[in-house]
Amino acid sequence: MSHFLDRLQFFRRDTEEFSDDHGVATDESRKWEAAYRQRWQHDRIVRSTHGVNCTGSCSWKIYVKNGLVTWETQQTDYPRTRPGMPNHEPRGCARGASYSWYIYSANRVKYPMIRGRLVELWREARKEHDDPVTAWQSIVEDEQKARSYKSRRGLGGFVRADWREVNEIIAAANVYTARDWGPDRIIGFSPIPAMSMVSYAAGTRYLSLIGGTCMSFYDWYCDLPPASPQTWGEQTDVPESADWFNSTFLMMWGSNVPQTRTPDAHYMTEARYRGTKTVTVTPDYSEASKFGDIWLNPKQGTDSALAMALGHVILKEWHVEGRSEYFDNYVRQYTDLPCLVLLDQQDGQAVPGRYLRASDLSENMGQENNPEWKTLVRDETTDDIVVPRGSIGFRWGEKEHHWNLESLDARGREVRPRLTEIESSEDVMPVAFPYFGGGGNAHWSHTDHDAVQRRNVPVRRIRLADGSEATVATVFDLMVANYGIDRGLGGGNVAASYDDDVPYTPAWQEVITGVPREKVITVARQFAENAHKTQGKSMIIIGAAMNHWYHMDMNYRGVIKMLMMCGCIGVSGGGWAHYVGQEKLRPQSGWTPLAFALDWARPPRQMNSTSFFYNHTSQWRHEKLQVSEVLSPLTKPEDFQGHMIDFNVRAERMGWLPSAPQLNRNPLSIGREAATAGMDPKEYVVEQLKNGNIAFASEDPDHPANFPRNMFVWRSNLLGSSGKGHEYFLKYLLGTENGLQNKDLGDETDLHPQEVKWRDAATGKLDLLTTLDFRMSTTCMYSDIVLPTATWYEKNDLNTSDMHPFIHPLTAAVDPAWESRSDWDIYKGIARTFSQLCPGHLGRETDVVTVPLMHDSPAELAQALDVADWKKGECEPVPGKTMPGLVAIERDYPATYERFTALGPLMASAGNMGKGMQWDTKEEVEALGDLNGRQEKGSAKGQPKIETAIDAAETILMLAPETNGRVAMKAWQALEKNSGREHAHLVAGHAAEKLRFRDLVAQPRKIYSSPIWSGIESEKVSYNAGWTNINELIPWRTLTGRQQFYQDHKWMRAFGEQLCVYKPPVDLKTIDPMKGTRSNGNTEIVLNFITPHQKWGIHSTYTDNLLMLTLSRGGPIVWISEKDAARAGIVDNDWIEAFNINGAITARAVVSQRVPEGMSMMYHAQEKIVNTPGSEITGNRGGIHNSVTRTVLKPTHMIGGYAQQSYFFNYHGTVGANRDEFIIVRKMDKVDWMDGEASGDAMQVEGV
Amino acid sequence: MLTLRIMARLMGYPDEELYRSLPELTSLLNEEAALPPDSREWLEAWVAELCETPLMQLQQEYVSLFDRGRHLSLHLFEHVHGESRDRGQAMVDLIDYYRSRGLELNAHELPDYLPLFLEFLSTVDDPREIHAMLTDAMPVIVLLGARLREKRSGYALLFQALEALGGSCEEAETLRKQAASEEPDETLEKMDEIWEEEQVTFLGNPGPEGSGCGSEPARPPETPVQWLDNNQARAAGKG
Repeated sequence: MSHFLDRLQFFRRDTEEFSDDHGVATDESRKWEAAYRQRWQHDRIVRSTHGVNCTGSCSWKIYVKNGLVTWETQQTDYPRTRPGMPNHEPRGCARGASYSWYIYSANRVKYPMIRGRLVELWREARKEHDDPVTAWQSIVEDEQKARSYKSRRGLGGFVRADWREVNEIIAAANVYTARDWGPDRIIGFSPIPAMSMVSYAAGTRYLSLIGGTCMSFYDWYCDLPPASPQTWGEQTDVPESADWFNSTFLMMWGSNVPQTRTPDAHYMTEARYRGTKTVTVTPDYSEASKFGDIWLNPKQGTDSALAMALGHVILKEWHVEGRSEYFDNYVRQYTDLPCLVLLDQQDGQAVPGRYLRASDLSENMGQENNPEWKTLVRDETTDDIVVPRGSIGFRWGEKEHHWNLESLDARGREVRPRLTEIESSEDVMPVAFPYFGGGGNAHWSHTDHDAVQRRNVPVRRIRLADGSEATVATVFDLMVANYGIDRGLGGGNVAASYDDDVPYTPAWQEVITGVPREKVITVARQFAENAHKTQGKSMIIIGAAMNHWYHMDMNYRGVIKMLMMCGCIGVSGGGWAHYVGQEKLRPQSGWTPLAFALDWARPPRQMNSTSFFYNHTSQWRHEKLQVSEVLSPLTKPEDFQGHMIDFNVRAERMGWLPSAPQLNRNPLSIGREAATAGMDPKEYVVEQLKNGNIAFASEDPDHPANFPRNMFVWRSNLLGSSGKGHEYFLKYLLGTENGLQNKDLGDETDLHPQEVKWRDAATGKLDLLTTLDFRMSTTCMYSDIVLPTATWYEKNDLNTSDMHPFIHPLTAAVDPAWESRSDWDIYKGIARTFSQLCPGHLGRETDVVTVPLMHDSPAELAQALDVADWKKGECEPVPGKTMPGLVAIERDYPATYERFTALGPLMASAGNMGKGMQWDTKEEVEALGDLNGRQEKGSAKGQPKIETAIDAAETILMLAPETNGRVAMKAWQALEKNSGREHAHLVAGHAAEKLRFRDLVAQPRKIYSSPIWSGIESEKVSYNAGWTNINELIPWRTLTGRQQFYQDHKWMRAFGEQLCVYKPPVDLKTIDPMKGTRSNGNTEIVLNFITPHQKWGIHSTYTDNLLMLTLSRGGPIVWISEKDAARAGIVDNDWIEAFNINGAITARAVVSQRVPEGMSMMYHAQEKIVNTPGSEITGNRGGIHNSVTRTVLKPTHMIGGYAQQSYFFNYHGTVGANRDEFIIVRKMDKVDWMDGEASGDAMQVEGV
Repeated sequence: MLTLRIMARLMGYPDEELYRSLPELTSLLNEEAALPPDSREWLEAWVAELCETPLMQLQQEYVSLFDRGRHLSLHLFEHVHGESRDRGQAMVDLIDYYRSRGLELNAHELPDYLPLFLEFLSTVDDPREIHAMLTDAMPVIVLLGARLREKRSGYALLFQALEALGGSCEEAETLRKQAASEEPDETLEKMDEIWEEEQVTFLGNPGPEGSGCGSEPARPPETPVQWLDNNQARAAGKG
């Protein structure tokens, strides 16, 4: 065809070529692009976060479309930092970004679930009994019926139930338990309020209103470093992560910052760009190790040896031989180094005793008020012993207010405390120090130095009030001797050179830690030199890794001493940065009244969980560690006899630790009996205790009267994550199938306790275990009732962290899916049903509550100089002094619901309080009534409403100094009354501001400076702990009012912990009875068992998420070294079993050069519901990481009624250490998935 | 088609109302006779068995089958999109589709819940539409049916009946083999496979190793089984 015809005359083709035929314009459909456009369309964005006990506390955008959550992205609108500093964002990580999966996942708990056997019994009983309480009674009091459902725990068999029915069962169980056994037998466990404080408060408010027991978590998780209350009288107060940037020498010690502090790690890398030197201390080649300019890798568990050697160098070069004016002034004013200590004569040798007190000297040194609680120093100018201000005796009951750290004595004279008597001593005498490095667990290197190290110390003689002569030394002089530094005083056991083989030189530590001495000397010198030049900007970021050892106090105190010697505490860019979880509940004192119903009754029942679980899961019945093994070689074992639990029972009796259940009788019956006897309940209980009719419940834990009977678990995976001694929980508390591999002490009667009655072991103590969760966790699988909670995108709540200064919300992007409800609504519903069931069973009752001698209250001055047990006749039982306080509380049980939903009258009449300060709060109550509305009828008529979770959040925000500037002013003014100094200037600029819930929804807000915390929120300085102590001269809440290098309680001395020493890990004796006795033909090796935080989950959350499983190995894993693997014939990805007498774990092996020989690592909290095969040892499904652990108590953590060593919830008490544990590891012979009918445990989630 | 609604009910949680209605349901199935006779026979026998079993036992079995884990989840997109972010959009589209047919969700349930989907289909008049929708979902239905049969669960019969009604799919045999060979530890073996990205191709042509990107952006195989054509759904929505 010719071109003429080929060409169109009147049209052009709609495809047009251009660019030399390389391009062509077409008009094809572009509809496919709509898919991509729509992909990012949404109806709205809602602000929320992930309430998962992660310090990140990142704010997220939740995208909602058609009422469904479609995805989430990071928020970027955090308030700015100041010029010259990096900003807080970007914040967020892969874990949080995968959260929306949970909402619609197949693992979601969608309906209230109850075990079929129990609901069958219930429905039968309800047919017979019209009253639900009687129906419940008929089930649990019938041994056979009770056993029939308890023994099915963890074995599946759930059915769906409706809310009405489950609420009725729970309420009936609670009413029955309170009526027949006591409300303190109703227990609730929920951790870390900061991650969703309203949800936490929902449960504890309900429990507190009915007299139930709220359980602690921080100590139980072993994240509480007891060294912090010991040193500072502070639970844990740390710098925000932004302050890492201000450091010029940054150590990461046992903290895997990039892996476990992901959203904050950028400050660490930014600091490095700025030139900050970084040193990493980890036994393994962790992700953090590569960030260190220097990497120190001490053998796991020997950190205190390393810290002592570092301290040896610093102390010698900067305090003994060299000088820094900054360090010198710092330790004189802010630490106890100048304080005087009595030297006790013991078997002909001098040992460091307690602090010298004003009461020891003639006429109490002129001190009428609390002379026993005022420590002394010697003034350098006059050479007189004086009473410096700030010790705890000045805190309570003083007429003139001098509780401060001014360099003045009680009478207002200028004081320069003398550090050392080396120039002015009257004598030099040998003082005995304990040395523990020669014993302990055989898997660690020991040295053969004498168990008693005598070292010369310069001393002074003084005359005491009773006319006798005493010898005293300063803490500084004792400490220099303790570090083994030669000062030319003669005598042995001191080192002139770092190469001397004397504790605690760099050469000495080399044997124990394996770290070359040169590296230790280098790091010590640089650390101190930097602090000297920058006035304290050396910082140590520390992870709970070091805190999970039995002797964690030594690890921590070793590190803290380095910081205090160099004046780093309380300085921006310096200090102790211990991060272990979202422990910082910023608006704490606004939250406490809501959470523990202090608006209706005070005090609440609170319990330290470690002692509770040790007792009630009968782990004490299997105790293999004897007190004599951990006593100081300078202590006579006959003075400290008994089983670990004996010490705990004594501590409870003396008012040191709380009790739960409290007494061996129903506290409501005690209230009635006292009334009948016409006696004051307090006097009645003392009388009954004396004549033995009443005793503490912990003295007979296997008696049915003393069982904890109902338990709530919410916001927690107690059995899948944090329950040390997992198999003991299953056997004794739950009464179900378990993998326990050892017998109790039944036959070994010489090991039985002295204070606790030995009976046949009780099992299945709990009548009802109720768990609230949004996913079917291991804990849910073991529960009787599982209640579906709203996810973090379906509820309103508040969230804070110690890592950044903001408070920000969780908000409901969508309604709770399926039948789920928010925690607030769930407990509100239970409270309502509970109230309805009360008539006929519970009315107005007098509940007698025991209260330990509380920190931050006058009771912390209870037991000044000695330890006396009234039960042994060593003193009289005096409530609040020699035994727990006793308080009779009037409860109105049928009004529980009305009280739950209204702010009670005590806030207006008794005011609010926090950390020993009290202030009026009438204005706030009025404002809250105006904001939330007031109840119009019922027993709470006229009180501000707290109907919804937002009402509850507003209550917190209104009452807290941190979120209400007016309240902050009042709190600072309350402190001023005690310190005699002006502080309110710190918040004056915010006095007219307050934050409301919707303000936070609009943008995360920085909180206001408050005396509840020891740092400030400011435009000039980043938050750092201890800042106000240094700059505002507010004393630390310790005995001396100063940071304490020294600990002088009788029990601290008995266990040789007056000063920091190296203590090797203890021998838990869990291997020998098992090794080689249950062979499967494969080689068995023995490894130390370490359980760090993981990369692909936050605790157990996200670990069942396929995205995270894919990035990891898809199921439980244990890391071992290449050498150990070769020894046992294990190759990477083999199925292995890890076991000891506590139980067994099945997992895959990750064989890696990361891990040092002799150590294994199992990331904590990998769920047994995910790809966990059967165990060849137990015949059951493999356990969780805590299946091979058991809780072991340490008596020094039980001390109470003694200044900073006084109990407070989550502040002080026994902690659940677990890293001294060993496991036998071997390759599995057969992998059995137990998916047949026979196993029937229903644990495995298929297709995860 | 009432048969679909009956099957939706039978697939739901066995509460007391369902338990009481069981005999009525089979007679209605026979009345409508939409299912082949042998399917009806099997279902009738199974339902008779259900009637003999205590309700509590049925509920426990149901919960252990369907209320935990992904393996037998009755939410179709769990098997299609899993944890992919596409799942949210897919559900949104499905809600729109129901709306286009004049139906609003009126329960605390997701739009891809199989009994809900079947109830929706029971309201659709056009048999071609029912067939098309069922065909789209068939691979999931076949897979779930096969998994249930591996567990020797009577619920497998419901899925077989759906297969009979909607016509099987070409992957059926492969899916059945997959179900038969699945072990609890499948995740590790299959992880690479599940997450492997498809090779990038240019204009649909397999290019040489390592060739660059094409006009279609590479998509990870988040949708191994496509059971709903989004474009079609949207087109229907306009009409």
